Formats: sequence, structure tokens, C-alpha cells
Amino acid sequence: MKLTVRTEPLEDDRPLLDLSPVSDPVAWIRDGQGLIGWGTALRIEPGPDERRFVRADQALRDLAHDSDIEDAVDLPGTGLIGVGSFTFDADVAGSALIVPRVVVGRRDGVTWRTTIDPDGAEPVAGVRAAPPTDPPRDRPRYAGSSKPDVHWLEAVAAAIDRIDAGEAEKVVLARDVAVWSHELFDQVDLARRLTARFPHCHTFIVDGLVGATPELLLSRLGEVVESRVLAGTVGRSEDEVEDAALGDGLLRSEKDRWEHELAAASVREVLAPLCEELTHDPSPRLLRLDNVQHLATTFSGRLSAPATALELVAALHPTAAVGGTPRGAALAMIRELEGMERGRYAAPVGWTTPDGDGRWGIALRCAQLAGARARLFAGVGVVAASLPEDELEETRLKLLAMQAVLDPS
Amino acid sequence: MTRDRDEPPEATTATSAVVGDPSLDAPDAALAAAVADDGSAPFDLDGLAVEVGATRTLLDALERAGLLLPHHVDADGVARYSSADARAIRAGMTLLDAGLPLGELLELARRTDAAVGDIATPAVDAFLRFVRDPVRGTAGSDDEAAERLVTAYQRMLPATETLVAHHLRRRLLATAASRVAEGPGHTDDAANRNDADLDRGRDPGNDIDTDPGRPGAPG
Repeated sequence: MKLTVRTEPLEDDRPLLDLSPVSDPVAWIRDGQGLIGWGTALRIEPGPDERRFVRADQALRDLAHDSDIEDAVDLPGTGLIGVGSFTFDADVAGSALIVPRVVVGRRDGVTWRTTIDPDGAEPVAGVRAAPPTDPPRDRPRYAGSSKPDVHWLEAVAAAIDRIDAGEAEKVVLARDVAVWSHELFDQVDLARRLTARFPHCHTFIVDGLVGATPELLLSRLGEVVESRVLAGTVGRSEDEVEDAALGDGLLRSEKDRWEHELAAASVREVLAPLCEELTHDPSPRLLRLDNVQHLATTFSGRLSAPATALELVAALHPTAAVGGTPRGAALAMIRELEGMERGRYAAPVGWTTPDGDGRWGIALRCAQLAGARARLFAGVGVVAASLPEDELEETRLKLLAMQAVLDPS
Repeated sequence: MTRDRDEPPEATTATSAVVGDPSLDAPDAALAAAVADDGSAPFDLDGLAVEVGATRTLLDALERAGLLLPHHVDADGVARYSSADARAIRAGMTLLDAGLPLGELLELARRTDAAVGDIATPAVDAFLRFVRDPVRGTAGSDDEAAERLVTAYQRMLPATETLVAHHLRRRLLATAASRVAEGPGHTDDAANRNDADLDRGRDPGNDIDTDPGRPGAPG
């Protein structure tokens, strides 16, 4: 397939989410910057297995090789681009890298538009001119879980027993809640509310998967790589003193520090051999979000040998923040105990370009929307010192937060 | 936050602590004995799990959360539970079977515990001030005082339980009637034009099919 790709500056400072003429765009936005795209020039479906990332990566490069590309802006994300999400489990199909027909991006105050036209393709709608209108909304209504939470509690207890027995050091267990509504769930509407509530998170839309993740799995811009690991969570309080005490408690919690160290180590072990210098916070910092506080460690480094963003993503996924330690044993326990299909939850979501740049997050705090139904997810890191009822409560609070964002009232 | 999963029960219950206390005079000792005598406690935690058909994991979680209080702790440091405790656990399991998620039930239980805890102290104070003190001030002998106190307690406890249970029932039904009367507030048009699978979402059951390959499924 041959594509004609043109990137030009765009004089438009409206919020990116207001620019889509369709209700099912792809998007990746943080602090008002990022990109939104619509229409499909090509949908790359790499299929299952461990090589799904590099197959998608190669397909995009092959596409670029055959395309006519003119880029008058030349910033990360301009020119030909793929926006995608991958499955958590290598054995599960459903990964996709979408090359949109139109992309509007913004970085450091520069806004651009890229058009991507296959030979002979019909024209697609341009940037939306009219201001956005609120869609009909209804509250999310509970429909059940893949695994009733009373059984999920048993799964956590079983994981703790197996960790005590030395089978693993940490395993991340997740659960889901299905909701329905009298009105269709609107992807852009949800993304808009997520950006308002979590402006410093990466808000994403890909194939109905809509979320706002605080976790940056991997950013690669040229030789510079960056990653932000989150693990260890506590709630927030409206009372300032109590809120600070919760944060201090998290920073001092041996259980949470241990859980975090395992997650940070899983990133460090992958990136350190690939970088000539890799720096990171000496000890985890507190990241305060609207509804929770996390322990966070940021890594930044310079690649010592060429590697594309998706090649690095392939090496990192799944980190111990969403899988566990050691990885193989943790994944086996997840498959045995979790009792649900994660789909694209807890898996890489983001964008990449043929030259290997890209920013990929982990799809957390998200909902899979399908018409008037949605599936919400939440997970916790289980270590030897975990208590099943506390882990259940943490997932309940995380799921409530997502339901609150879905709720217009 | 972390707690020790193997932490043993903390000493004994408040009620049994005063039984046999030599500092109590005869009327208060009789009252303390009556308060402590809340039926037998034939079960340890494993026995209670077998009795009600629950797992130890669930009962451990309830116990650590302070929502399953032992009848007493025996001389060997083992927490003991009564048939009334078993009935309460079964009642909770009935709510789970009906579709209430455990996480939500635990949250309701924590709120109930906090609310009941707020009421328990002034309720006991009221008994002591307005029933015990007058009895102690007017009884002709310690034996008479003891008998009157125990009789009053034995009449008042079930009366209090009936009163609280009835009030909770009235509150629940009134709230339910009010909420149901509000109606959904929306038409079903959107639901009707969406896939037929949406109907599954209206079932209150806990199990759903989230097969991502199924058309219309959200997975």
C-alpha cells in the first residue's frame, strides 16, 4: 500500500478532544498536548504471541518505506504515525496499531495536522468546526464481575500462600466490573472528563479502550528514553493533615516500598543494559493524583545502541507493576487465579513512528466501552505482607473512582 | 497498610473481663455475669467456618476488619463464637448470594459498626443512670438489687434489639420506597437500540460473560 503523508502547521488552539469530527477517534493527551486522530488509513493487526510488538513496528516501517511523506513541522509524532494498544497476554489476539487518516498533534505550543491518504481513497472529514455538545448521559449501572469479589478474595489469599511458599515474590491480581447504561457511553465525552480530572495523566482512546494512566511505560525520542514506574498505593483525604499522613505512611510502609522496589527493578533490569547512562530517583517519590497517592520512580537514560520504542516496550512488558516477580511465575499465577481475561487492560497503549520514536503507557484506570456497556478494571500488587480484604478494598476504591468519572451526576 | 495475619486475638472480651472481678459488689457482679452470659460459644474460627459453610479466608478477613467479634477468648487464647455469631455470618452470606458484592457488604458493615459504636456507649450509660442507679438507691438488700438489675437487663436487651431492628427495617423500607418511586429518570430508547446483550446487564447476578470475541461484548 502506498500512502501520501503530509504534515503542516495548524492554527488552532482549541482542546485536542474538541477537534474530532467522529465519536471514536484515537487519542493520546497529557496536559493539553499530544494527538488525536480519526479515520483509518491502515489497521495493523499483528496477532498474538511475544513478537506482536515488533511485527507491528516492522509493518509501520514497511509502510513508511513505500509512502510519499512530506513533513513541514518535524517534531516527535509528526509525519506517519501509528496509534495502538496491545493485549496483556501474549497468547490473546486483539492488538492493533492504527494509522489514522487525519492526525492533529500539539507539542510545546506548536499544533500540526497530518493527513494520511491511501491511493484512491475517499476523502475523510476534516477538523470539527462546531463546538462540542454534551451527549445524552446516564449513570453507570452495575452488571456484575467476571469473578465475584468474594471468590477474588480467595484468589488473593491463595496468591499470598503461594508467595509465602516461595513460588513468587509479587503477583498483580486484577478484577473487573461490568456496567450498563440507558445511554450509549461516549468515548470522547469520557476522555474529556478524564483529562479534566487527571490532567497530568496520559488520557488515551484506542478501539473503545478509554482511560487516563499515570504510568509511562516507555518514552523514546531519539536516543533519550524515559519511564515512570508506579507501585504502592494509598487513598487521599479531604483533610490536608490526614492526606499528608496517608502519604507519609505510604512512603514509610515496608510492604509498599517492597512492592514498589520489585516494579522498579523490573524496569531497571531491562533498560540499564541498553543505556550508556540511566538515572533514576534514589528512592520513590509520592505522586498525588485526584483520588489516590502512588509511590513513583522515574528513569531517564540515553540508548547505547539503536532500539525502537516498540522493541523496548516488547522487552519491558509486562513489568512487575502489572505482572509480578519473577515474571514467568507471576504470569502463571495470574492465569490460574485471576479468573478473567484482561484483554488490553494493563498492557501497552500509545503511539509510535517509523523512525522508532514513541510514547507508551500502561492501560490502567480505564474502561472498555461498547455501546451502552462498559467494563472497568482495577488491580493490586500482592506481596507476602498483603491482606486480602485490604487488596479488595483498594480495588473497590479504584473501581469507584472510574465509575464516578463515568457518572454525569 | 500491613497487619500481621497471624496476630492472635487480643486478650479477652470486655464483658467477660468483669465476671468474677472481686472489686464488684454483689448486685454489679450479678449484672456482669448476666451480661457475659450470652449463650454458649461452641465454635473456634475453623468450627465456625464449617458450621456456616464459609472459608477461613472470609472469616479471617471479617475478624481482622473488626466485623466478627468473638463471644469470648478462652483460657488457651482461642477466640470462641456462638450460634448467634453463626446466624449473623449466614445472614451476610445470604446477602452475598443475592448479588451484593463482598466489598460493598464490608463497607456497609464498617459503617454500621461505626454508627452502632456511637450509639452503644450512650445507650449503656442510659441504662446505668436511669435503671441501675435507681435500683441501687431503692433496693432493700443486695440480693433484691441483683435480682432487679438482672431482670431489668434481661427484659431490656431483647426489647432494645427489637426496637433497633424494627427502626432499621422501617428506615430501609421507607428509603427503598422513596428511591423506587423516583424511577430511573430515563427512557429505555438507547438501551433498546443497542445490542440485545445489554439485557444481560440488568441481571443482578454476579457472573457475566466477558468473552472478548463475542459480538457486542465489552471485552
